Amino acid sequence: MGLSTHDLAAFPASFPDGAYSIRLKNACADKAVEFPKVVPMDFACKIAAQAGAGVMVTGRLLVRCFSRGGYNVVGYPEYPSLIRGGHNTVQVRISDKPVSSPSEKQDLLIALNKDAVFYQMPSMSKGGAIIYDELIDIGKFPKRADVNMYPLPLSKLTQEAGGTEQMKNMAALGASLAMIRYPFDVIEHLIRDEFGRKGEEVVKKNIDAAKAGYNHVKSSHFDSKWDIKPLRERKQLVITGNEAIALGALRGGMKFYAAYPMTPASSILHYLVENDRAFNIVVKQTEDEIAAINYAIGASFAGARAMTGTSGGGFALMVEALGMAAMSETPIVVVISQRSGPSTGLPTWTEQGDLGFAIHASQGDFPRVVLAPGDVQECFYLSAKALNLAEKYQVPVIVLSDKHLSETIFSTELFNQAKAKIERGKIVEAKDLAPLPQMSRWHRYALTEDGVSPRTLPGTPNGEHVASSYEHDQTGFSSESFIMRSKQVDKRAKKMELLLKEMAEPTIYGPRDAKIAIVGWGSTKLAAIDALAILEKAGVRAKFIHFTHVYPLDPKIVKKAFRGCKVLIDVENNSAAQFAQVVKESAGAEMDFHILKYDARPFFPEQIAEEVGKLAKNEFKGEKRIEVVEKEDMEYYNTQRYGL
Amino acid sequence: MMMAEITVMDFNAKERPQWCPGCGNFGIMTALRSALAELGIPPHMSVISSGIGCSSKMPHYVRTYGFEGLHGRSLPVASGIKLANHKLNVIAEGGDGDGYGIGMGHFQHIMRRNYDLTYIVHNNQLYALTTGQASPTTQLGVKTKTTPYGVVETPFNPIASAILGGATFVSRAFAGDTTHLKEILKQAMKHRGFALVDVMQPCVTFNKLNTYEFFTKRCYKLEEQMPKHDIGDRSVALEKAFEPEKTNYEKIPIGVFYKTERATYEDTLPQIKDKALVEYDVSDVDISGAYEDMI
Repeated sequence: MGLSTHDLAAFPASFPDGAYSIRLKNACADKAVEFPKVVPMDFACKIAAQAGAGVMVTGRLLVRCFSRGGYNVVGYPEYPSLIRGGHNTVQVRISDKPVSSPSEKQDLLIALNKDAVFYQMPSMSKGGAIIYDELIDIGKFPKRADVNMYPLPLSKLTQEAGGTEQMKNMAALGASLAMIRYPFDVIEHLIRDEFGRKGEEVVKKNIDAAKAGYNHVKSSHFDSKWDIKPLRERKQLVITGNEAIALGALRGGMKFYAAYPMTPASSILHYLVENDRAFNIVVKQTEDEIAAINYAIGASFAGARAMTGTSGGGFALMVEALGMAAMSETPIVVVISQRSGPSTGLPTWTEQGDLGFAIHASQGDFPRVVLAPGDVQECFYLSAKALNLAEKYQVPVIVLSDKHLSETIFSTELFNQAKAKIERGKIVEAKDLAPLPQMSRWHRYALTEDGVSPRTLPGTPNGEHVASSYEHDQTGFSSESFIMRSKQVDKRAKKMELLLKEMAEPTIYGPRDAKIAIVGWGSTKLAAIDALAILEKAGVRAKFIHFTHVYPLDPKIVKKAFRGCKVLIDVENNSAAQFAQVVKESAGAEMDFHILKYDARPFFPEQIAEEVGKLAKNEFKGEKRIEVVEKEDMEYYNTQRYGL
Repeated sequence: MMMAEITVMDFNAKERPQWCPGCGNFGIMTALRSALAELGIPPHMSVISSGIGCSSKMPHYVRTYGFEGLHGRSLPVASGIKLANHKLNVIAEGGDGDGYGIGMGHFQHIMRRNYDLTYIVHNNQLYALTTGQASPTTQLGVKTKTTPYGVVETPFNPIASAILGGATFVSRAFAGDTTHLKEILKQAMKHRGFALVDVMQPCVTFNKLNTYEFFTKRCYKLEEQMPKHDIGDRSVALEKAFEPEKTNYEKIPIGVFYKTERATYEDTLPQIKDKALVEYDVSDVDISGAYEDMI
């Protein structure tokens, strides 16, 4: 991921050196440790407006635009649970060094409505700039002397270019690229690729609108401090966590996906259904989540690799069938993209609050696997692996993502397909089956040494059996024999030994011998890794231990990972430190500190760095529980609250 | 390879059914075994998906592939099986509590989709395996464990619902007339599309009203009607669907109420036109074609 010195040399020498240090200094003002500038180039712009104004589309275009220019890019969306109105944003952060999370502040804001100016002013970096339509009256809003305002005739420019009011975002996009002196041809190519399918007229109108905004800024000769040029041609993917999960599943041989719409898992459904014919898969939107998982289990029983996806509330409806998959030993993969709970909670915001639920859901004892990818690469490989594990061991496998990972857009290297191999486990074919004695069934639930019984698929002669949610004997016939019951429980439980061998060790980022260890799972990786870079520059030597295979946890693996650490700092996007509980229960290891955030937003790297920095400064004395809450309380749902 | 002739024996299972002596389920089991044999579908090519209840024990006694799932969920499991391998003969079974109670939502939606599968509802007009509570089809006024003062809720009319809900084959049979039931089951399985067979099934232990005698006296066959019952006429079918209620259950029509042709859900999926989903090789799926829009 890192750039060579050659790449850095290509970076414009005239780049204003101090420009980006301001932002970080500001973010870390009044903090215990003085954080110097982190990376040579780190820039964040944000597009914001009411829902329905094209913020998400424009945000994605910006991400692709910079990705094509060779930058590492993160496009972080925020939006309230409504369709029109409210306040939507996408922060696009770019760097020539690896970055994986959004930052607290943005340097450049594209404000498509007046609310955006109001909402985003506090999170502008010092010396930042706001582009907005000159028709917007912002007279009432608090101003900042350290933020430059650029009222532009966006509506007028769009109209003159022959575009509709809806295309104002394209004019703004053009204007913002001109502000940073990014070449226009990148966006022009991108618009062609993006809108080509909609015909030449749509392409032309969008290009003209973007060009109008671009040329206006260029000819105005604003005193812009930015000069951001493409670094190099680079073929990298621009992808969300959900899309990576979907692609991983496709590579993993998934043939059937059933789901009911639920934020933030719906984009898996959308992506797969869009590609169903290209990949010869069947995608079914069902009447509810109960149906979704039962469809998937049916398809899996018939021999198709099957998956379902939802968020916590939908998973609650699936729980009974999860147990059925375990009892009938039918492979199933469930993706849970977590959002802030409980109940309806905050549908469009993030949390890591469903780990305990995923591990414990259902009555009865049985083995299962919970995997928690931390970035888009892991989304891809773990979703493919989940399908393997489910089928090899005939157990439910849960992939835990969350809104932050599922919906944030990342630039990333192309996936290495060879690394995702298919292992289908014990499926017996017709040629290996002897004729069954009359009136009898095949031993589907044979008591095997390793606990995994071979299975036959419907349509296979001489393999007839009943898969059952009842406790059963070896043929699948319901049985209340005390001995058979115990044997079947033991048989299923035995799979745990095999599953533990499949659980990868956590990955360690930063200096391996660092005594300070930040411990996290799933999507906290995004901010934690960026936080390491900040801490390193501040002289705090820390590493990050990241778990993706969160359940079952092998105590040996945990102990090995924690060996040599003087202080363990748990970082979780929930209130109850759920993963720390799992670690304690599985391995007996206790965390020294918990940095917890449950205000519905993900961690920003600055926040983790600040808290770890404070702990280091105080020589790791103080409260065990540290709660992180946003200082600026900007509610996107009720704009009325601010008189807007 | 020469296929041996398929007989009823191929569908017999050695396990003794755990039903009360005289239960209507025996008739349904016998009729289903015979229907499968007469249609010549080999045991490995059928799957019976059931829910939970006395009726849902059926997969164990008709020797095919089977899936005994959760209460009320026989239809979604059956749908998943059908979509994964539409070359299989898929049968869903359950009781009235299972299908018209807890699983009602699935019943309404499956009719819209018209998968090519057969749904047999063992309608004994109460919950039997849980020892006799009122179900959605228990008649008005009937006293049960949960309705000590008699049922006050209007009974669910599955035939009328199916006709209005989009089912392409709507029928009713009586478990006491296995020859007729077998013929209906054969027609239902041959029908391309969603076929409902609602079977009036006496529960000899808990239902003291809807007995064999009750049905024998009241049931008459639609196909023996003069003038002939037009199974293609939706309004006539609907009229017949309400006859039991209108006549205070004096007249209960059985047979095919309504039948029509409509594309099945599977027909609309080009990806399974030539191959069943399960027939695709998944060992090395190339996803790089999807990159185009992502760069």
